[in-house]
Amino acid sequence: MAINFKSLTYIYDEGMPYAHKALDDINLSLIEGKITAIIGQTGSGKSTLVEHLNALLLPSFGSLEILDRTIVAKQKNTGLKALRKEVGLVFQFSEYQLFEETILKDVAFGPKNYGASEQEAIQKAKEALKLVGIEEKYYDISPLDVSGGQKRRIAIAGILALEPKILVLDEPTAGLDPKGASEMINIFINLNKQKNTTIIIVSHDNEMVYNFADNTVLMDHGKVIFNGLTLDLFNNKELSDKYNLLKPKIVLFKELLTKNGFKIDPNIRTIEELSKYLAKEINKK
Amino acid sequence: MNGIVFGKYLPLNSPIHKVDPRAKIIALFILIASIFVPKSWWCYLFLGIIIFSVVLISKIKISMILKALKPTTFMLLFLLIINCLTIKTGEIWFYIFSYPIYKTAILNTLFIVVRILLMIMITTTLTATTKPLDLTLGIESLLSPLKIIHFPYHEIAMMISIALRFIPTIIEETMRIMNSQKSRGVDFEEGKLREKINAILSLIIPLFTVAFQRAFELADAMEARGYVPDKERTRYHQLIFTFKDLMFVIGSLVILGLMIASRFYL
Repeated sequence: MAINFKSLTYIYDEGMPYAHKALDDINLSLIEGKITAIIGQTGSGKSTLVEHLNALLLPSFGSLEILDRTIVAKQKNTGLKALRKEVGLVFQFSEYQLFEETILKDVAFGPKNYGASEQEAIQKAKEALKLVGIEEKYYDISPLDVSGGQKRRIAIAGILALEPKILVLDEPTAGLDPKGASEMINIFINLNKQKNTTIIIVSHDNEMVYNFADNTVLMDHGKVIFNGLTLDLFNNKELSDKYNLLKPKIVLFKELLTKNGFKIDPNIRTIEELSKYLAKEINKK
Repeated sequence: MNGIVFGKYLPLNSPIHKVDPRAKIIALFILIASIFVPKSWWCYLFLGIIIFSVVLISKIKISMILKALKPTTFMLLFLLIINCLTIKTGEIWFYIFSYPIYKTAILNTLFIVVRILLMIMITTTLTATTKPLDLTLGIESLLSPLKIIHFPYHEIAMMISIALRFIPTIIEETMRIMNSQKSRGVDFEEGKLREKINAILSLIIPLFTVAFQRAFELADAMEARGYVPDKERTRYHQLIFTFKDLMFVIGSLVILGLMIASRFYL
């Protein structure tokens, strides 16, 4: 199964003098069950792209196939709410969506909207909160009284409580400290491994993308430039120069080593693999 | 939120865009006054042609005016019904289910419809051709003589410009929170009354929190840059009142004069 964008175009303020084409004839296939990153400059259309995944935005032209559904431009689409349960979308600065009196109630809000009973909803909320590492002693305090990083976790728990098949995250780690960010990413990796949840992450942090994403999509000015294995993208010197990709440290290190006469296998990805290889090379000499 | 057109600035390039905001504000008031003066349909035809050509010159699409008019249709319909029920003078025009409808009732409503149409055309032209910031600069400049009676014109202008500046931000914020809540299964369009109230609450509470947070941050940022309300300030962007702007005002005064004259001679 895959998520397919077919000649999808999206225009903001269609018909107004300041109309703006945010997505331009996108043909894209995202594989389910994987971690996919979407990268690109600000304004390249990343957020617009992901907002199509749970039909918050409907295509101006073209279509989108997702989970047995096809969303076609200019057609009346019904039952979008059911789709939104399956495709959980966590927005940039998602902490602003919190509003209930207590943290537990806020997380239980989503499941309740989708028809879960009070008890079920609370149960799911507790599981989701545990998953993001919010301790039980916080359950009964107001979500507005905790730190920014905790708010972000609570907001993400609010989506996780829906148990979506596809989890879409727009800049989930922006503004978090490095430790918090890597903890957050580990939550997503575990979800992917344990429940086979499809993870789609929009990010500016190429270091993180390189370390965790199976596949990466590179966007520029509303078009898809690259869609494939993350390693292939960062090994591609031409592309990364043309689109000014900030290279991850390991890639830079590999390039430096190559320059100085080492023959580096392009499939080496992690620091562990690289150090093993280097140890072997040095022992040879 | 894409439906909101009233009060939106259109970044086009037209002669009306270049008129000094003060001249436009004064002309707006004079023209609105002149809309309410005449009693003859000929005058409205004349006013209509003038205002319509101003709209054309400013390159605003007619569809935008119609969109701005849409919210008033309900009010006008209501007005028509009230007029038909209450005005019982003059000749009877026709009957609806044996209820007499008087000519004056229909004509009176038509007068109001035309007046509101013209008013919306004028105000839409003002807001569509003047940047919000220029508009407040204009208001501030027009209010400045009131400083003699210690009227806080600068503070008021600053408040208006901050409010205007944050309308798009708040709309954006609203959209974002709405989308977040939609992703959590909130249905803003359908559902029972209780669900709807809950849906609105899930939007309003975060919106207030964000708005207050922004207000505090803005206040801090202004203070950090040394903003003191009652100190005299200079401007980078100066308004210059040219001969053309004067002609613009005089033109609207002439129209007002003609309308007043029509009361005596037509």
